[in-house]
Amino acid sequence: MKSTPYYWPAWILLGLVGLTSLLFGAGTLELRQAFAVLAGQGTEEARFIVLELRLPRLAIGLVTGLALGVAGALLQTLTRNPLAEPGLLGVSAGSAFAVSLAILAGASTATLTTLVSQAGALAGCGLVILATRIQGVGQDPVRLVLAGATLSALLMSLTSLIMLIDQRAADEIRFWITGSIAGKNWEQLTTTLPTLVISGFIVIAVAKPLASLALGERVARGLGHRPGLVQLGVVIAVALLTGSATALAGPLMFVGLVVPFVARALGGADIRKTLWLCLPLGPAMIIAADTLSRLLVAPSEMPLGVITALLGAPVLLVIIRTRRIPTL
Amino acid sequence: MRILQTDFSFRHLLGSLAFMVAMTASLAHADTREIATAYGPVSINGTPERVVTLYEGALDAAIATGVKPVGAVITRGGTGVAEYIQEKAGNVEIVGAPGEINIEAVVGQNPDLILASSRLTEEQYALLSRIAPTIVPDFPTLSPETWKKETRLFSLALGREEAGTNIIDTVEERTLEVAALVEKHLGDTSTNTAVIRWMPQGPVVMSEDLFSSGLLAATGFEVNAADIVKEGRPHSHPLSQENLGMIDHPWIFLATLNADGDEALAAARKSHAFQRLQANRNDRIITVNGQLWSSASGPLAALQILDDIADAMKSRSSATQ
Repeated sequence: MKSTPYYWPAWILLGLVGLTSLLFGAGTLELRQAFAVLAGQGTEEARFIVLELRLPRLAIGLVTGLALGVAGALLQTLTRNPLAEPGLLGVSAGSAFAVSLAILAGASTATLTTLVSQAGALAGCGLVILATRIQGVGQDPVRLVLAGATLSALLMSLTSLIMLIDQRAADEIRFWITGSIAGKNWEQLTTTLPTLVISGFIVIAVAKPLASLALGERVARGLGHRPGLVQLGVVIAVALLTGSATALAGPLMFVGLVVPFVARALGGADIRKTLWLCLPLGPAMIIAADTLSRLLVAPSEMPLGVITALLGAPVLLVIIRTRRIPTL
Repeated sequence: MRILQTDFSFRHLLGSLAFMVAMTASLAHADTREIATAYGPVSINGTPERVVTLYEGALDAAIATGVKPVGAVITRGGTGVAEYIQEKAGNVEIVGAPGEINIEAVVGQNPDLILASSRLTEEQYALLSRIAPTIVPDFPTLSPETWKKETRLFSLALGREEAGTNIIDTVEERTLEVAALVEKHLGDTSTNTAVIRWMPQGPVVMSEDLFSSGLLAATGFEVNAADIVKEGRPHSHPLSQENLGMIDHPWIFLATLNADGDEALAAARKSHAFQRLQANRNDRIITVNGQLWSSASGPLAALQILDDIADAMKSRSSATQ
């Protein structure tokens, strides 16, 4: 962590982005008022807007960003593919499909979605791993992404099918599927915390073996690690993280791609350094995107998923356009 | 004498026969009516028997004038026709959604008249008008008076002009009654209101020109959508929760697509921003059926909405005093 370049600047960036997100919103609240709230004063309305509308969004952005950034970095190292991203590979789509099924069955977006979403993500992860086992696909980053895109498209069309079957569910699903962290409150955050803590422990446990696994299974075995167990741990962690993030914010594309990409560009390919940098960078991306989503179409708001896709798609193009995709 | 009498009655018979023939001819002639539509005049003969309505307002107007259509489109957020009209519509065949008409299903109903909405495209019109005379109204989509013009147009096409006029009169009378009730209960207090749908990220505000908003205005409410609904759109994008002050009116009509309005209200109340609305604190949130209030139009829908407003006045008047 000390040796990770740009580690502290990344945290400072997150601090600045977080502060900005508290100061700016879709409303007419004056900047001076928002500052006053941060200083512990301000009118009742200003306090409500900053502390009860913007602060929970900041916290949820923090958690989803952390989860998606770390999940992306893990999945990329595991599949040795810089394009492996929960959103692109269908993990998020799996989780979205599961949630849609639950909504169809009568659940409300506010309740019960975390577990369902994580189960869906786990199933999506399983399919990704299966795809990497298919001859040729696992070795070729772009083909893996194509396989993932196919899976995503399939799951998304199944989700659309649910929306067609039940128009009432459609309204709730449509809102949720574009991705947003608006209108969420603390309770929703706390329901995901236990699993986040669990996945945190798993990540700590697998980070070092995963780094040696990157050198090849034989090397990892020689160092006394058990590749199968490590892989299983990573898959579970990715599913828990992506599932939690999706339950909170809907399926957000590209965050798990952009954040580790930037982290590797800054800190080098070692998964441990990447993970350390993902911690501040993931939240910074989501919170910045969320702040933009409030400002672009005020007095309404844009779906967060649209902004992350707008920010992320060019990065995907850059990675693919570089002549040779580095395998991890 | 007897012969004369017979002769007279025979002539009489002939005369009345001739008269009847002439009458029938002139009736048939009068029964061929030319109807001005968005895609030019359409002539209709006789009384249509198999009517397909591709618009909720047309279904409503047809049933209100005593015609039971054989085909209709679903309501927004539903899988069949709107709940308020389900019973009267009986087992009408569903031939698609307002935006996605299943032409084959329309053909399958073998209609002799098709009543459509003013949003029907020319391409769809070209197809449908080959199946049966198709009536597309040429009135502004969003205007409080449009439903009356449409009801007159549709009832003329159906050959039930008088029934159309009667039902419009009924609605106008009922509007005055409910307006008096609103006046009685609200008196000098503010009647500022908005019709909204609550989404998790914030409220969707319905246009002031929407059918239901027009009825609220006609009964004395001051409908105020805070200028956030774009011209020609039925409703706004979800308003940011930071801007709820813009619609913090004394009265809020909360349209919900869920079966249970109370459940939707309970869900909205989980939001701290919603809790702060003065209408919520004063128990002046009126939950109403979203299919009826944000999708339907026509005389029967109007009567039902007016009933909702009257019920709200009766149930909340104790809270007022």
